[in-house]
This record gives sequence, C-alpha cells and structure tokens, in this order.
Amino acid sequence: MKRSVGFLVLFLLIVSATGLSLAQSTLEKIDKSGVLVIGTRNGSPPFAYINKNNDWVGFSIDLVEQTILPVLNKKLNKQIKLEKKESAPATRIPLLTSNAVDLIAETMTDTQARRDQVDFSLTFFVTGAQFLVRKGSPVKGIESIAGKRIAAQQGSTNAKIIREKVPTAKLVEFQDQPAAFQALSQRQVDAYTNDGIQLAGLRAKAPKPDEWAVAGDFFSYEPYGMAMRKNDSDFRHVVNVGLMDAIASGRYLEIYEKWFGAKGEVPYPLTPENKRFLQLQVVPK
Amino acid sequence: MNYHFNWSVLWTGQTGGWLLQGVVTTLQIFALGLLIAIALGIVAGALRTVPLAPLRWLAGGYVEFFRNVPLLVWMFFWYFAMPPLLPQGIQDWLFAHGVEFWAAVCAIGVYHGARFSEVMRAGIQSIPKTQLEAALSTGLTVGQAYRLIIIPIAMRLIIPPATNETVNLLKNSSVALTIGVAELTFQTRQIETYTAKAFEALAAGTIIYLILCLTVASMMAYVERRVAIPGMIAHGQSGAS
Repeated sequence: MKRSVGFLVLFLLIVSATGLSLAQSTLEKIDKSGVLVIGTRNGSPPFAYINKNNDWVGFSIDLVEQTILPVLNKKLNKQIKLEKKESAPATRIPLLTSNAVDLIAETMTDTQARRDQVDFSLTFFVTGAQFLVRKGSPVKGIESIAGKRIAAQQGSTNAKIIREKVPTAKLVEFQDQPAAFQALSQRQVDAYTNDGIQLAGLRAKAPKPDEWAVAGDFFSYEPYGMAMRKNDSDFRHVVNVGLMDAIASGRYLEIYEKWFGAKGEVPYPLTPENKRFLQLQVVPK
Repeated sequence: MNYHFNWSVLWTGQTGGWLLQGVVTTLQIFALGLLIAIALGIVAGALRTVPLAPLRWLAGGYVEFFRNVPLLVWMFFWYFAMPPLLPQGIQDWLFAHGVEFWAAVCAIGVYHGARFSEVMRAGIQSIPKTQLEAALSTGLTVGQAYRLIIIPIAMRLIIPPATNETVNLLKNSSVALTIGVAELTFQTRQIETYTAKAFEALAAGTIIYLILCLTVASMMAYVERRVAIPGMIAHGQSGAS
C-alpha cells in the first residue's frame, strides 16, 4: 500500500509540474517558435484526411492555411510555418492544454461542456447527425434503430444522443472512422452514425459509393468550430478575424466550392440559410 | 496550464457507474483471457519440451505465429476476419451477444497463451533432466511424469515471470477499446466525451489500473509463498537449496 501511495504522489507531482511551466500566451509562443501547430484528423474527408497522393489536406486545413495564417503573419510581422499533428476526439483537449498544439482544426463540434475547457472560434461549418447504411436498409433514421446494432465514433456527440434517445439500440463505439466503416461493410453493424457531412465524405471515398446511402433527418445540431486554449483572447481574435475576413471577402466560398462544390471531393451545396448564418457571424471592421 | 481541475466529475451523475462498468468488463476480459492463456500456455509450453518432434514443432509454430504479430492486429483479426468465416447461425448468435467482447477475449487469450507458454517452457527446462528420467524410471509414462512431477514443479518456479505476464494481460485488455468493447480505458474516454475533463478521467483510469495490477501482483506473491515446497525450490531469504 505504501508503494501505491508513493506512485500517486509522483503522478500528482508530474501533473502539477506541467501547470507551472506556462506563463506565455499562444501568440508569444508562435512568435518565438515561428510555427503554428494545429491538431487535425487524417481520416475525415473532406475536412482533414490523407489523399491519394499521400498529402494531408482538407477543408479545415485550407481554412487555417489560407485564411488564418495570413492574418497571423501580418500580426507577428513574419512568415509563420504550419505544422500538423494528428488529433482524435479523446486527445484533442489534452493536446491543447499541454501546449502540444495551438489550434484544433478538424471536425470538432462546439458544445457548452467543451467550452468549460477550451475556447472556440466562430462556427465555420454546420451539420447534423445522420446514418450511413447499405442501400435498401431498414434503418431510415433515428426512429427505426431500436434493437439495431449502430456503430458510432467514440467521443462524438452523436453517440451521446442515441444513448439518451434510443437506449434499446445497441451502440458499438469505435475510435476512428475507418474502423467503424469496416464494421459496417462487414455487416457487424446495421448502420453507422456520424455527422451527415462526414458520412457523405465517407460514402464519396468508398470503393463503391452506390452501395451506400446517407439516411434520416438530422437528429442533432453540430456546429463546427476551431478550438484553442482558454482565456487567450488575442490569439482567438486572430483566428476569428481570419475566418471573418474570408467569409466577408468570398474567399471562404471559394474554399467551400473547392471541397463541397459540384466538382469538389464531396458535393454538398451550401444552403442559403447556412450561408446567411455564416455571414451574420461577421462583425464590422 | 490553462486547465481547471474538477475531480467531482468522476463521481457525479453517471460517470461513477461507467467507471465501475469499465472495471467489471476489464476484469471479465482479464479472467476469461487469463484462463485461455494459462491453459494454452501450459499445453504449448509442455509440448515444446516433450521428446516428440512433431508435437514440439506444432507448439513452436503456435508460439512464433501468435507472439510475433502485434496484439492490435489480432484484435482486428478476431473481430473483423473471424466472424465471416463462421456459419450464419453462429454469426447471428455472436452479433446478438456482444461479438466485440468475445473477439477481445479470444485475441488476448490466444496471444498471451503464446507468451505464457514460453514462460512455462523456461520453467520446465530449468528442472534438471534427471528429474524426468527419475520419474520415468519409477514406471510413469511421459504424460504422467509431466502431469504429476514436471508441471507442478515448473508452475511453482514460474510464478515471478508469470506475474509479469498476468499484469501485462490485464493492461493489454485496454486494446479491446479499438473494437468497441466498453472496458476501463474506453469508459475513461467516455467520461472525457461527456464532461470534456480529460485529465481527471485519465488520472482515474491510471489509478484504477495501478490498484488492479498491485492487487494481482500481491495475490501472486501470496500464492508463491503458500505453494512453495520447503527445501525444494531455492529462496533467496531462506537460503535453502
């Protein structure tokens, strides 16, 4: 027993020691290192994924590179390099708080619980949860999943909603999208739930897209934001100015068109309501 | 660090229940996996030392194949590749009764069985050959000599390295989260999802694993003292030989 108490004390010492190390703001950190480190996904097309040419690309990454980085360069008056690190739902908040990354730019839903721990940029994309099913599946939406085996991504808000709304559904939670899709294509599960846009992306990237269908109405509201360390408003302002300038100037729409347009990776037209919503977030200069 | 610790998330609402469920599932995987691992380990370990070449090759093949492929790969194998090979009736039954859990038990049991068998072999080979010869000269068959003499002695010898393996098995049960088994590590991530309190959840998981492993280790130490044959196996403290 004495030994275990010793371990515990050691562990708590390590945890508290990391708390003493930080006194600089994110902007100071970036200024000193010359690098903006973002945490992003590598299997969530078209937001952030590894493409056929083995490049790490996506809508979220483009937004950082083409809208936020220029503002950051101007603010710090030097060329800042972009570095990408892999993040997952379970690791993204620790990555931020431990200073391993400065910005989470992937498919993270802005929620009140998360705002206790991190700060979010303005919303840069809006979607909601749906189901990916085999064509002709009896699963037509959240109303028809009772007793069915449903795959979800652990750490997502969708699994939480299913557990609360349809407790009889058998939820199987995977760590990432590829494993969940594998389970679906092997018929281990009847449907896979995730944000609608991600399912559309998955379907578009599947070997035979026609075998799959995205089913049901949105059963959740998922506003995507970029996450940052809490109480660092100068950096947050840079990020928001980058996004606002892009929305106001039309640059955002160009990037949107590249990924979600008719010729994009995942055709998903911007609805007039969503466009209006994005524009309303832009405050005057 | 801009992080506000709030340890009460670990016991408010559902989180306490989740941790408890996680511990129960982890212990279930541990117990069933350990049973398979020990059974396979004893058989394969003993077979690797018998004076019959084909049996040695068979056991050697099992050990080399299973211990040299990462556990994660075995996890995916038992979950994704195994069920489609089974008849439809068994598949349906498995899908209705938590196929993830059974795949995890098989993956961990068979993988650790290969590792256990090496521990077992080391134990058997540390027994002087004359012991077996003496047993055979009393009229026992090879099978009887192993069952009654060699394996009981070897089992006592291997308790320290077997403790290592047992604790490893317990910790490796966390790999099951990759195929969606709601064990302890999975539940700590679940708490992170619901409360955004990653450090608290991880700390809780760490401490629970520590307690479980220390318990296993002290139980094994107790067993070691209880089953020791006085005068037979040398102990540092007693100085007997």
